[in-house]
Parts: sequence; structure tokens; C-alpha cells
Amino acid sequence: MANPYLVVENLTKVYERGQVVALRDLSFSVEKGEFLVVIGLSGSGKSTLLRCINRLVEPTKGKIYLDGVDVTRLSSARMRRVRRRIGMIFQQFNLIDRSTAIGNVLTGRLGYTPAWRALLGWFSKADRDRALANLERVGLRDKAYVRADQLSGGQRQRVGIARALMQEPELLLADEPVSALDPATSHSVMQYLEQMNREDGVTVLASLHFLSLARRYGTRIIALKDGQLVFDGPPGAIDDTRFKEIYGEEAEEVEVR
Amino acid sequence: MTGYPDGFLTDPPSLSWPVVRDALARRAGIAGRHLAIVFLDVVGLAILWLLVTYIYAWYGLGSIAYTLVPWWAFVLGVVEGAALWESFGRSLGQRFAHRELSGASGVPTGGQRVLYFIGWHLTVLPLVGLFFDPPWHERLSGLRLGPPVERGEAPRPWYRTSSGLFLAALLLATAVAAVGVTITTTNLRRLFTEAGRTAKFWRAFFSPDTTILAASGRDLVVTIYMAVMATAFAVVVAVPLSFLAARNLMRGPVGRLVYTVLRGAMSIVRSIEPIVWAIIFLIWVTVVRAPFAGVLALWVHSIADLVKLYAERLEAIDPGPIEAITATGAGRLAVLRYAVIPQIVNPYISFTLYRWDINIRMATVVGVVGGGGIGQRLYHYLTGNLWQQAGTVMLLIVILVWAIDYLSSRLRAKLA
Amino acid sequence: MGTRGGWAALRRRSLSFFLDWLAWGYIAYTVMYLLNHYWYTVYVDWYGTLKLPSWGWPLVVLGTLELAVWSRALGRSLGLRAFGLEVTCPSLGRRILRAFLWHVSVLPLGIGVWLGRGEPWHDRLAGTRVRAVPKEPERPGRRALATQWGAMAAVLLVLTLWLGWLIIGINLQVLGRRAPWAAGIWRQMLRPDFRYFLESDPAFALRNLPFSILDLMVVTIFMAFLATVLGAAVAFPLSFFGARNIMGFSPVGWAVYGLTRGFFNVFRSIETILWAVVFAVWVGFGTFAGVLALTIHTIAALGKLYSEQVEGVSPGPLEAVWAAGGSRWQVVRYAVLPQVVPSFWAFTLYRWDINVRMATVIALVGGGGIGDMLFYYKNLSDWPKVGAVVMVIVAVVWTMDYLSGRLRERIT
Ligand SMILES: Nc1ncnc2c1ncn2[C@@H]1O[C@H](COP(=O)(O)OP(=O)(O)O)[C@@H](O)[C@H]1O
Ligand SMILES: [Mg+2]
Repeated sequence: MANPYLVVENLTKVYERGQVVALRDLSFSVEKGEFLVVIGLSGSGKSTLLRCINRLVEPTKGKIYLDGVDVTRLSSARMRRVRRRIGMIFQQFNLIDRSTAIGNVLTGRLGYTPAWRALLGWFSKADRDRALANLERVGLRDKAYVRADQLSGGQRQRVGIARALMQEPELLLADEPVSALDPATSHSVMQYLEQMNREDGVTVLASLHFLSLARRYGTRIIALKDGQLVFDGPPGAIDDTRFKEIYGEEAEEVEVR
Repeated sequence: MTGYPDGFLTDPPSLSWPVVRDALARRAGIAGRHLAIVFLDVVGLAILWLLVTYIYAWYGLGSIAYTLVPWWAFVLGVVEGAALWESFGRSLGQRFAHRELSGASGVPTGGQRVLYFIGWHLTVLPLVGLFFDPPWHERLSGLRLGPPVERGEAPRPWYRTSSGLFLAALLLATAVAAVGVTITTTNLRRLFTEAGRTAKFWRAFFSPDTTILAASGRDLVVTIYMAVMATAFAVVVAVPLSFLAARNLMRGPVGRLVYTVLRGAMSIVRSIEPIVWAIIFLIWVTVVRAPFAGVLALWVHSIADLVKLYAERLEAIDPGPIEAITATGAGRLAVLRYAVIPQIVNPYISFTLYRWDINIRMATVVGVVGGGGIGQRLYHYLTGNLWQQAGTVMLLIVILVWAIDYLSSRLRAKLA
Repeated sequence: MGTRGGWAALRRRSLSFFLDWLAWGYIAYTVMYLLNHYWYTVYVDWYGTLKLPSWGWPLVVLGTLELAVWSRALGRSLGLRAFGLEVTCPSLGRRILRAFLWHVSVLPLGIGVWLGRGEPWHDRLAGTRVRAVPKEPERPGRRALATQWGAMAAVLLVLTLWLGWLIIGINLQVLGRRAPWAAGIWRQMLRPDFRYFLESDPAFALRNLPFSILDLMVVTIFMAFLATVLGAAVAFPLSFFGARNIMGFSPVGWAVYGLTRGFFNVFRSIETILWAVVFAVWVGFGTFAGVLALTIHTIAALGKLYSEQVEGVSPGPLEAVWAAGGSRWQVVRYAVLPQVVPSFWAFTLYRWDINVRMATVIALVGGGGIGDMLFYYKNLSDWPKVGAVVMVIVAVVWTMDYLSGRLRERIT
């Protein structure tokens, strides 16, 4: 069997400020094409884990192999080349509010654009066409020239997805992509992620709050508690006792339909 | 929940560097708080004593004096006063630090307070005792300087607490001293008898001297351009500097140094009024080029002010877009261009307009020292006792300042 | 044109037109000034530059009017942009037609606008329309500099800076040439002479008393203190008269409100220094004049800030007290005051900070304080002592700034 696509080994992260240990000795691996869902209470280290993978957060200890390359040792220039293959979408969308939807989508190409062109905002014709195509794909072609702050939450997250699509990613990190959305919109956004996973073969790592969403979309689930791995297995394996273990005794499962 | 994981505190060997560092930091914190309280009390009492003697000397002896006693007696008195205050009342410093003396069994007894008072000298004066946990005087008296405890009884009104009384005395003494040195009876009498002197001046507001309107109008133009030029050139300098003066962008030892030096320098420049800058520049470029000197003065002051405003805005930007753009694999400059700049353009423009508005006012003032523009004309009229003309010019200034104020606030409201 | 919306639209159109006219007028002024400056068309000092011949003015007025009309017809002008308008257009020919028709429709007393009922004749006949820019554009916007308004704004900026450079007489050579000389002064100032910090300078006396730097600094702080306390004490009650939500229930209320606000605005726009001039004449030179000047400006500035705070209180508690049958002053006491007191303190501290700064220089026009000493030594060209005074001023102003900032943080 070939090496797994992503391997996380003994990953530890201690935040300097406050001496908080966010991740403790975490190890797991992800095969290409998986849809891995990370669950856990808030503060359990989900965001930190995802951000360690593209090194928005510097890991304190441990190794992360992506396609056999240890990303924790890369120089910042080489890390940038790795990052452009990793798309990321965020809970708070992190769009540039004052820019148009297409302006936001085009920033997904920044990793492939020479610095001087990027500074002047001269994206190539091919990139512009690709941006329109990706907006079409998330159903926002008619909003291309609308400012991002005029869009609704679901539309904003779809712009975020289109931005990630521009990178033509192999790996997509989604940090609570639907926590700021209502249930109906949540499903539409999750379906775009599922589509990327199935049709483009993008490996997806998504952190989610709701177990029901995790069961519905994930091919595999890992659970974090206080920075430690407490569960790793197929969605079906999480029963009531497991659930109580992950979320604490008082927790009650909530369905999102 | 300490935020530490199980075993994190006990696992490492007991004298590892983090443990020592933490212990030192905690003790330094305790000592620092005690010292800050003592410092505030001593300074507060010293100021009160100085004020009282100042008033006595001013009214009683007709001169200015500060202590009236030898300096060692003054220091001794103040320190003893602080010790008494901290032991037997709730001192100013304790109130500011949200601390209160309390015994193991509630309210401290008199004996404990006396012990605390004696221990205070042994601990605070040589300083060493403060680095123990708990400090010596607390251990000796069995009292603890902790957060105030709720005792379920109505708090005493402020004028019956020692710190309230102290503040009242301090404010009263300051007011008396201030009245004493700033207001004299001759001046006060003139306020009521000499109002007629300004009559000409007020009349000019309603019947301006029209012959000087054209010339004053051109001076107004100069004033406006002074503000425009000073603001424009200040922006050119302040924008790049603001990036170096933003704490969140300047990381690492070198960055922190640059940040500190820049912010310090800017706050020094800012605390010198533009008028003083104008004096310096008038000597530099000679009085012949008065408006130029005025522009330079406004320029320097505007840079310092704008750097502060800009940098504070930069420190408040949303880190989300920065994360997102970095995650696409963009370089540092692209992150600046796409994640930082869009967030700051409008606030920067708004601050610039605000500063332009201020510069218009300042330009009229700077003229008074010879910095050109309408202010200089006003000063000529005033020194020449040409009251009606002076009144006319002031009327023009009021109109200009008003108009610009309105314009800039309308524009800023649009930008927000 | 009967509807309210129609009026508002017409107002926006006319304002945007006047803005364009103004912009072109300004450009014409600037260009003429520059031509005159570089080619000496009429040689006079710069003040007289715009002495046009008698037929010149109408020509300029009409010329800029034409420029405004054509620029609005042919592209998106600055005025259209500023008011969020655009001219929808089928073709260039129609746009040109619109510009011609404009003269027929608007010049005869705006007859085409009045009779056009919402769609003036020139628009109707040329088939164009002026409308607000839609919020959801379907086309990509052009880069600002490639649009007419962008180019015009850039031209305005460049011309303004150019003109400003000439009017101010900016001369960088002199700055360099005299730099060594200025550096000499700086060097002397940076080697300050603190001889008279504690000890009074026998040569410097005010009111027959010799003063030291420390004495005058204390006096300066007292001045600021007194002015802030007096100013806040007067501004506090006045601010309720200047708050619309407290006063605005009757004609009398409106009158009081208007008067108070007018007072605040007029007195605020006269700078402290200018007030000091007035009071120096009135009560004689010295600290009292300074205190009065600071106080008057403080009253006006704080009054405005206070009343804006009072206007900004949340109406819920007010309604509750009204509903309970409270009188106007009970509403103030129990519903308004608790909401505004923290920000009142913050503003007062901020004002205290400003007053300390102002008090250090108010002596220039006879307002007393440390400035007396500063300007005294400056007139003697005794730079080391000037340096000492400036350093003390910086230290005190900086400390007060810091203290007031910290206290404000705690309060709010
Ligand atoms: N920048 C930071 N500095 C210090 N502590 C942090 C920082 N970011 C996160 N933490 C801490 O790390 C832990 C994990 O946080 P996070 O990864 O955001 O959890 P989650 O995304 O699961 O809610 C939390 O205890 C949080 O307080
Ligand atoms: Mg999170």
C-alpha cells in the first residue's frame, strides 16, 4: 500500500500566550479522496489542527507529511508553494468586504501570480474566465460584480468556496464552514464540499459542530477533546456512549436536517 | 481549570526553567502591585502636602514655596503618612488596585492593624520582604491584601472613607491653589468694569469692515492651502510610518524596537504644540517665507498625529482576511495589498479629512506667531489695536472653520 | 414632479451639476493662475493674479458651464459620481444630442425641467435617463483612473498641490541651505540648561514675583485644572438644554435648543488662542485671561460633546420614567444621567488633556503660564533655556496624556 496522503505525527501545539496546550501529541493519517470530519467541543483544538496543516499556526512539536513532504520543515517560500495546493474556507468567511465577489475569488490565484502583477491587480484573462466559471459553479454568476458585504451569509461562504476552487486544490481545509449559517444554507454549502470531494477528488478536512452533519457528509470522523484524539473511525461507529465521551455527560444530540 | 493539562505542571523536573520563570514572574507581579500601591499613596500625600504649603505660602507669605520644611522631614512625613493610611484605612492606592485588607476572620482587628503597620516598615522599605509570598508584613499580621470581600452590609458613603476624604481634600486644595495663583482681584474687577473695551470688537461681528474683505479672503485661501499642503505631505510620510508603528505588524525583537522607538518619538513630537514648531521653523526658513514655516510646523505635528491614528486603526484590523489570503499561498506583499489595505483605506481617508479640519484651525492659530495666512493678518490688526478689522477677520475665521467642519464631518459620515 | 421622491432626485441632480461646475471653475482658476505665474501675463503679486479684464469673468463663467454640461453628457463626471448618479445612454450621438438639447431645456429658466415632470426635455428627447447607480452591477466596474471622474479627481489633486506649492512658496533649497544653522539651534536646545528649574530666574519676573520653570509649570497645570472644572461645571447643565430629546417637545424647547447649540458652535469655532487675545485686552495680560479663554472654549466644546451624548441615550429607560409619571427633570435624573455619566467623565478627562497642551502656549498672546518663559527665552535667543522649558512641557504634556488615557480606559 502506498503512503497515506496526509500523515500527522505527534503533533503538539502550545500557544505562547497563556501557555495553553491546544493540541497534545496528535497522530493520524488521511488517505487521498477521503472526507474527514473533525468534531469536538469549541476550544478542543479543531481550528488549531487545521491551521497547523497549512502552517497558519506554527506547530510546536511533531511532523506533518503531505504527499511525503514534511511541511513543518519547509522554508516560507517553499511553504507558499505548498499552500497554493491547499484550499481553505473559514467559519467567518474571511472575505474582503470592500471587494467584489469576483475580486475575492481572484485572490485564490495569488499563489500562482507573479508579485508585481498581484500588486497591480492584473490577473490574466484565463484567471478571470476561471473565476467566472467557478462563480457559475457555486451559482453566483449573476452576483459577480456585487460587493462582498452586500451578500448573504450563504452566498459569502459560496464565494469562499469559489476562492478555494481557484487554487485547484488537492486538499481542502474547512474550519467550521457552516457554523455561521442556518440549517438549510448549511446543507447547500456542505453539498458543494461533497461535490468537490466526489467529482474533483479533493481530499477534504472539515471541522463541524453538528454530529448529524458529520454523519451525513463524512467518510470518516475524528474527534478531539482538550487537544487529544478521542475517536477515529467511520461515522456509524459513534453511538450514545461515544457521544457522551466526546461532548461530556450533559450533552444532548441536536439534529440538523 | 487552570488552563494547564494534567501532568503539565508536575511532569517536568521541579526546577526547570519554566517553573522558575513562572515563580519569579508571579512574585514580581505581587511585589509590583504592592509597590505601585505604595507609590500612589506616597505621591498622593506628597502632592497634598505640597498644595497645602503652596496655598499657605501664597496667601500667608506672598511668595511661592513648596515644602516649608526640610526635605528629609517632608519625605519622612509622607512615608509615615502612607504607612498609617494603608494600615488603618483603605488608601487611594488600594482603592485603585481594587484591593482591601482583610483578616482570616473578616474585618481586621486593631491589633492586627498595628502589627501590619510595624511590619510595613520592615518589608516595604528594604524591599526584600515584598518578594516573599505572602510578603512579610502580611505574614506577621495575619492580614491579606486581597480583592474586596462582599460583607452584605451597605458600603460606607464616599465621604466617610479615608480615600474619599483624601480625594475631596486634594481637589479642594488644588482648586484653592489654582484660584489663588491664576485669579487676582485686579483682574477680576476688570472682568466687570472693562467689558466696554471689547465692545468695538463685538460690534465688528455685526458690521464688518468691508474694505478688507477682499484681501482677507485671499489670506483665507492661503490658510486653506496651508492646511491642504501640510496634510497632503503628512499623509505621504505617515502612511508608511504607520505600518512600522503598528504592534500587530511589527513582530520579533527588531520589530518591537522599531515600534517602540517610533511610537515614543511620535508622542514626543505630538506633545509640542504646532505653535512652538512654527517658532522653530520660522527661524529656520526665515520670516520672509512665513506660510512655508507654518506649513512645516503643521506638517510635523500632523505626521505625529496621523501616525498614531493610522497605527491604532491598523492594530484593530480583522485578522481573518489576512489568514485567508496567506492560506492561498500569496506572498507577503500580496497579503498586504489584498487583506490589509482594503480594510484601512476608508478609515485612513476619514482620519486624513479629520486632520485636515484640525489643520485649518491650527493654521489660523499658527499665523498668530507669524506663520502666514489669515492668522497673521489677525495678529497685525490686534497688535495695532485695529479692533474693527480684527473682529471682521475673526468673523471670517469662524465662517471658514464652521464650513470646513461641516464639510469634513459630512464627508466622513459618508465614508463610515 | 409632484412627488417627494421627484424633488429629492431633482435636488441631487442640481447639486451634482453645481459640483461639476464648481470643479471646472476651480480647474479654470488654477490653470489661469499657473499660466500667469509662469508667463507673466499680468504682472502683479500673486494676490492680484486673477485680475481678469471686465469681459473675462462672464467668459469664464460660461466656459466652465459648457465644460460641465459636456463632461456630464460624455462620461461619468465627478458630480455624478459624488451623488451616486449615472446617465444611461444608448449611443454617443444621443449623448451629444443631449448636450445640445440641454441648452434649450435648461437655460431658459429651466423650463424643460419644470415642464418635463420628472424627466426633463433634454433627457426625454435624447432618450437618455439619469438614475441612481444600481446596487448590483452586472458589468465589471472600470478602474477609477480610466473613468472621467477618476481622471478629473486626479487632475484636481495635482493642480491643487501645484497651486499650493506656489502659493505657500515652498522652497526646499532654503531648508537645506539653512539646515546647518537650524542644526546649531537644535544642538543648543538638546543641551538644555536647567539652572532655573527650581531656582527662580531673577531677570524674569511676573507680577513682581520671580518665577522658576517649576513654578510656572505648576501654574500652567492649575490653569488647565481650573478651566476644566469651571468649563465642565457650566457645560454640564447647559448640555441638557442642547439635547433635542430633552428639549424638543415645544416651540420654547426648540428655541432653547437652537440657542444653546448655536452658542456651542460659534464659541467652539473660535480657537482658544483667539479667545485669549480678547480676554487679554479685557482683563489684562496674565493667567486670568488664559483661564477665561480656556474656560470659554471648554464650555463650548464639552457642551457639544455632552449634549450629543445625551441625545444618544437609549430611549427605553426614558420611556419607563415617563410612563411612571415622572417630570422632565426626573427623567433627566433617573433615566439620562446614569447612562451618560461615564462618557461625561471620559470627555472631561480628554478635555483636561487638551487644556494642558493649550495652556503651555497660550502665553504667546498674553494668556500666562509656562509659555511666558518659553517666549521670553526665545526672544533672548537663549536656546539652552528654551530647550529646558520645552523638555519640561513635553514631559508634563506626555504624562497628562498618558494619565488621562489610562483613566479614560478604566472609565469606559
Ligand atoms: N492565538 C491563540 N493564543 C492563545 N491561545 C489560543 C489561541 N488560539 C486558540 N487558543 C486556545 O487554544 C485552544 C484551542 O482553540 P481552537 O483551536 O480555536 O479550538 P476550536 O477551534 O476547537 O474551538 C483553546 O483553549 C484556545 O483558547
Ligand atoms: Mg474554531
